[in-house]
Amino acid sequence: MAVMKRKQKVSDEIPTSSMADIAFLLLVFFLTTTVFNDEQGLSIVLPERAEDMDVSARNLIFFIVQPDGRVDVRRGESEQVQPVAYNQVAAVLRAELAGNPNLIAAIQTHPGAAYRHMVNVLDEVKQAGAERISLQELEN
Amino acid sequence: MAIKDSGFKKKQGSDSGIPTSSMADIAFLLLIFFMVTTVFRTEKTRQIEWTEAESSQKLEEKRRDILHVWIERSGEVYINDQLVPIDQISDVIRPIYGDNRQLVIALRGDAQVSYDQINLIAEELQEAGSVRVTFATRMEQRANRARR
Repeated sequence: MAVMKRKQKVSDEIPTSSMADIAFLLLVFFLTTTVFNDEQGLSIVLPERAEDMDVSARNLIFFIVQPDGRVDVRRGESEQVQPVAYNQVAAVLRAELAGNPNLIAAIQTHPGAAYRHMVNVLDEVKQAGAERISLQELEN
Repeated sequence: MAIKDSGFKKKQGSDSGIPTSSMADIAFLLLIFFMVTTVFRTEKTRQIEWTEAESSQKLEEKRRDILHVWIERSGEVYINDQLVPIDQISDVIRPIYGDNRQLVIALRGDAQVSYDQINLIAEELQEAGSVRVTFATRMEQRANRARR
């Protein structure tokens, strides 16, 4: 009767076949927990406290946001108010900026107006390429 | 006399299986990428209706330099998952700004919140001295824009 001796082989290496499984497990964990940075928005720098600037009325253009979302334009000097459509705000401002690069776009929002309306107008003003923007609350 | 090619025939073994030995390397590479890019969520995402703007720009600031101020439709303000009364916002922001002068405030306001709320918060931020503000928005699609 043939007696076969069993080979006693103990591997002294790290098992590499399961390495991939372990790595993938960790990988899936990090994949699911990852939140990518999706911060975007309209940036603005607020004026410091008690920093009231005297601005010549010539350098001002007001965009008045009404509670229902209508927008009126008023040039600094005149009292005349002119309604304007949302998508025209950028065009109006761009034309004004071409004539006077120092122009300050002042967005005066009615306290009762939805935040959304103000953001829409700010969006337009930003698109027109205005550098100097002021946010105000409309006083009655 | 020399025998050509040492007399051995070369084995022509073309393996048809996926090479598993490099699998771990690939997996680890991806793993390291995700480990490095992962930032764990630190605060609850609140239910707000996002405002949209076409000129939205990606913020270049690092995540730790951005502080979210959530304004829910009810007018409640949350900072770091804490409900903060409007008149105490400056007290909350001031120490945070004191620790980190690079701070940018990301205002995440509900689209329907009335503007006087936003104005009050802006005044509080001015009082705290933290004047770099972003009105957080979503990128607006052209099709939506025509409808507003």
